[in-house]
Amino acid sequence: MSTRTVFFFAAVVVFLVSLVAVALYYYRRSRQTSEKSWEQLLGRLTFIDRDSVARIALDYVDESGQRRTDDAAAELEPTQISKLIGGLEGLEILERNSAVLIDLAFYVQQWYPEAVVLAEDLRLTAREIEWHVERLRGAAKTGNLESSFASYAQPAIAKYYLMTQRVLALYERGDIAMLLDLQRTI
Amino acid sequence: MHLTGIDLLFWAGSFLGHIILLSVLLIRRRAKEFPVFTTLISANIVRTIVLFLIQQYGTKADYFYTYWSLAVLDVMLQLGVAYEMTSRIFRPLGEWARDIKRSLVVWIAGSIALAAGLTWLASPPTRLWIQTAMIRGNFFSAALLSELFVGMIVLSVTAGLPWKTHVARISQGLGIYSVCTVLIEAGRTYFGLKRGTHTYDELSHTRIAVYLVCVVYWIIMLWREAPQPREMTEQMRRQLLALQRNAGHQLQSLRSRRD
Repeated sequence: MSTRTVFFFAAVVVFLVSLVAVALYYYRRSRQTSEKSWEQLLGRLTFIDRDSVARIALDYVDESGQRRTDDAAAELEPTQISKLIGGLEGLEILERNSAVLIDLAFYVQQWYPEAVVLAEDLRLTAREIEWHVERLRGAAKTGNLESSFASYAQPAIAKYYLMTQRVLALYERGDIAMLLDLQRTI
Repeated sequence: MHLTGIDLLFWAGSFLGHIILLSVLLIRRRAKEFPVFTTLISANIVRTIVLFLIQQYGTKADYFYTYWSLAVLDVMLQLGVAYEMTSRIFRPLGEWARDIKRSLVVWIAGSIALAAGLTWLASPPTRLWIQTAMIRGNFFSAALLSELFVGMIVLSVTAGLPWKTHVARISQGLGIYSVCTVLIEAGRTYFGLKRGTHTYDELSHTRIAVYLVCVVYWIIMLWREAPQPREMTEQMRRQLLALQRNAGHQLQSLRSRRD
């Protein structure tokens, strides 16, 4: 067997093992998400101080989600935002909760396919939050976390706040028992 | 060209399997939902008939050129099915999800590069350059398709986009078949065609057997109905629309603030 053939078979083995391993890992992950019950999904949420989230968000946008332009807008300093949210760790919790919120929206979508528009909107918002948190992680590595909080953290928190409001509004129109569970957590 | 008993069995099995699958697609009204997949199955029926007739009444050269022309068409249609499934998953609202476009392009380009790299390494022992091209072409298409289907799983899970029941079943069948084909084509690359066609034919039988298992899987899964959704009340629909309009404004205002 020539050296090239040996390389070829080694590459094919690595290729196939990697492909199957990746496929199985992600397939299993998707099954775990889709097989979760409502209670299990709620159990994945991490408690967040809702008042802190609301304070940071409402410093940035008003209740309807419109950008605030009044004199009292954007008063919070980056250090205050960082403290209120619990630093990078707090943002990572927001990111994890965003993923769970998408699953919660999917739960509604499973029974009501018309909710695909809202689910997609929530999914895109959560992906943007992930984007912000990724940049904050990068800033943390270079020691610029505090200065990055104003540009990345506040928009992410405002998005999270608005997203939770939308999910709560959706459930409010569906199932009151579910809403009470959700309000306690997010 | 002499046909053995097992050749005829596979030929008949493939023809019958595709006829049943096409009937399922038409009876269950899946053809409209999956037009490219239905075309692939129809093309396979036509291919089986044409090749059988040429094998009986045509020359060896006729068979060779027809076989490879139809094989190229088959690969093109399989890529078309991959596109059809991708568009069902990543266009939840009728347009490509904006957060997924770049990842998709990167994945497709990476898949082509990796499949081309692996194919370049392959050096099957053959007598004619066209045999080398055939074996390498088969390997390339199998590697590319398997990468594309695994990529679909990875991207959909990462982005949080669900698979509809029948999209998942078609993709699973074609994905598993592609991965098995990579293994079979690697075997063909090793044995080549220099010492005759016996091993090559045996591997072809294995490939057809794997494909027939996929056809049976598709017949069963596409016959079954997807879980029934519930109906939303008119009030809930109106509220949802209002919520969505509001959410759109919110998102827009947040984006302008960030910029």
